Amino acid sequence: MWFIRVNMTDLTSRVEPLPDAYKHLGGRGMTSTIVAKEVPPLCHPLGPNNKLVFAPGIVTGTPAPTSARVSAGAKSPLTGGIKETNGGSSWAADLADMQVRALVIEGQAKKNGKLWGLHLAWDAAASQPKVEFFDANEYAGKDLFEVFPKIYAKYGDTISISGCGVAGEYGYGNAGIVYNDPAKRPTRYSGRGGLGSVMGSKGLKFIVLNREGTPGVPVMDEALFDQGRKKMIDALRTHDITKPKGALNTYGTAVLINIMNEAGGLPTRNFSSGRFEGAAKIAGEAIFEGNKQRLGKELYNHACSPGCIIQCSNTWHNPDGTEAASCVEYESDWALGANCGIDNLDDIATMVKLCNAYGLDTIETGATIGVIMEAGVIPFGDSQGAINLVHEMDKGTPLGRILGGGTAFAGKAYGVTRVPAVKGQGMPAYEPRAVKGIGITYATSTMGADHTAGYTIAPEILGVSGKQDPLTPEGKAALSRGFQAATAFIDTSGHCLFIAFAILDIASGMEGMVEECNGVLGTKWTTADIGRVGAEVLKTERAFNEAAGLGKETDRIPEFMRTEPLPPHNQVFDVLDEALDTVYSEL
Amino acid sequence: MSEIVVDVWLYGGLSKYGGRAQQDSFANVEARLREGSTVGDLLAFLQMPTEERGITFINGQLSAMPGFQPDLGHILSDGDRAAFFHLNSMWPFQYRHGAAMIRELAEAMQTGKDQGLHHSYREQESKA
Repeated sequence: MWFIRVNMTDLTSRVEPLPDAYKHLGGRGMTSTIVAKEVPPLCHPLGPNNKLVFAPGIVTGTPAPTSARVSAGAKSPLTGGIKETNGGSSWAADLADMQVRALVIEGQAKKNGKLWGLHLAWDAAASQPKVEFFDANEYAGKDLFEVFPKIYAKYGDTISISGCGVAGEYGYGNAGIVYNDPAKRPTRYSGRGGLGSVMGSKGLKFIVLNREGTPGVPVMDEALFDQGRKKMIDALRTHDITKPKGALNTYGTAVLINIMNEAGGLPTRNFSSGRFEGAAKIAGEAIFEGNKQRLGKELYNHACSPGCIIQCSNTWHNPDGTEAASCVEYESDWALGANCGIDNLDDIATMVKLCNAYGLDTIETGATIGVIMEAGVIPFGDSQGAINLVHEMDKGTPLGRILGGGTAFAGKAYGVTRVPAVKGQGMPAYEPRAVKGIGITYATSTMGADHTAGYTIAPEILGVSGKQDPLTPEGKAALSRGFQAATAFIDTSGHCLFIAFAILDIASGMEGMVEECNGVLGTKWTTADIGRVGAEVLKTERAFNEAAGLGKETDRIPEFMRTEPLPPHNQVFDVLDEALDTVYSEL
Repeated sequence: MSEIVVDVWLYGGLSKYGGRAQQDSFANVEARLREGSTVGDLLAFLQMPTEERGITFINGQLSAMPGFQPDLGHILSDGDRAAFFHLNSMWPFQYRHGAAMIRELAEAMQTGKDQGLHHSYREQESKA
């Protein structure tokens, strides 16, 4: 197993055996450990002392289902704290199959404006990966949909690609890291936290992996791994949410639009209401029926990455049946739709595609446009105006750069007080005033406001079952703590977080996940270790954040959510600071 | 006996119970019921078998989950909004933890062993 360091300052690389101390780490556990150990917490995120770390999960690259995931980690230019942002792509599996457990990008290309690419391939003679640099200047400033085919043409069909778009070249806080999807499109993202700009700041535009001849991931105990894998497959294939033609495969994540709207928790027009009158027009059910009309047949969703059996990625089609955009996720649909008062799926899809073309995080982009609409730059509901704003970010105009700075930055620039962000990161699509539990997770996550920070795992496994009433603030905080730890474990394992839906209800699936990890690593973990291993990751991240100036005082929900009642339930966020503080004080 | 009007939303495949109000992916029905009618009466009015519905809301308050329906006797009031979801919908616990529930569901979950954590309570998924 290999540990690769790439120094962008002098354009050198070192391929070294994986240090023993890291042999049981993967994914988020690996990236957060390396960032915490090697990155000065007070460094500038876009300076030479920050490091960008890629790590496939423990079971990534194996036949474990729904596990082609990679973690990207660094100090975030958006939050100023540690960041792990997760993506699904063949790029993840290819990195794992090259037996690379961590790829660390250091330094900064000296010549300002010069862009480089990395090409990693398997050196059969040396039995290890080899790294080459290539001049990537010809791809600067270009639409990623234009660039990806050129890279495939140059390097062949056995490659996968990660990179940054023009947003990362500009240094925007909302720049994501892009990966290819199975159709070779630039549509899969480690979107959050501005890590695309960390990549761009180093003078690195693309990392191309060639899977030809790669040896694959070694498995210490094949029988145990296979036992776990089968349990996981059974759970995913039988659960209503994850099974073929189940909720996610049929309607995608946007199935949550109508649900959250009925619950009064769908943030609308920059978090001024919890219900959007146009919700049913942009919901997952509308996407499914709209595609059926435009294509003349039912269309079920596809996999974002090899080996996924949930297959939740949708594609929205134009009236003539051609492809408009993939993928219109719940968060993107909400951010660029309800949050901006926009109820036109074609316009939302246009913005999703533009975000993919320019390398923008759709959540941060939509949350920022919502704030700008609040400021009166364009009115709520003006979808053409919103599309134009996304183009401004591509052009790098002064307005585009303000937008690219993210939700909190744009709010400051325009004097807006209703700014839905925690630790500088724009809030996703669940209203804390309507759903207090997610508010606790938004407030306390090491990542800033993050809807993927606290997935539900059975409390009896986390050791919090029956100890506190889950309806009290303290009980909610205890569950959030447990969920955040469990999520850190899943992000370390290499599985997509959506496996959590199935393994919550089907206990054998939970065992399967741990057996898969034990099979690969040779460890003796039990399900009781999920919380422990995850908590260690959280402690590492929390220590980095505190050293970076993000202590408990930053674990707070925006003030307006404590003072402005949210229709239709007319609730405020009333969880006391003392309860929020218990999430980490009792970790 | 006086009449009440309930604003009914039927999503996905349940839109077929919306009659003339059926649209492609939902139906919005104005249901006129006798005063004192319950959720069960509303289902009868719609001619919708209760086992076909999953997540259900009354005025934005969760009232039922798939296979867990303590709301059948809940009395509706004039102007209520009732929303019924198909069984291919979802609302993961982390995104509903602390959300509003009707009294009947809150009490039933409080006394249940898992306190409403799971996605579904239908027979075929009671494996946890």
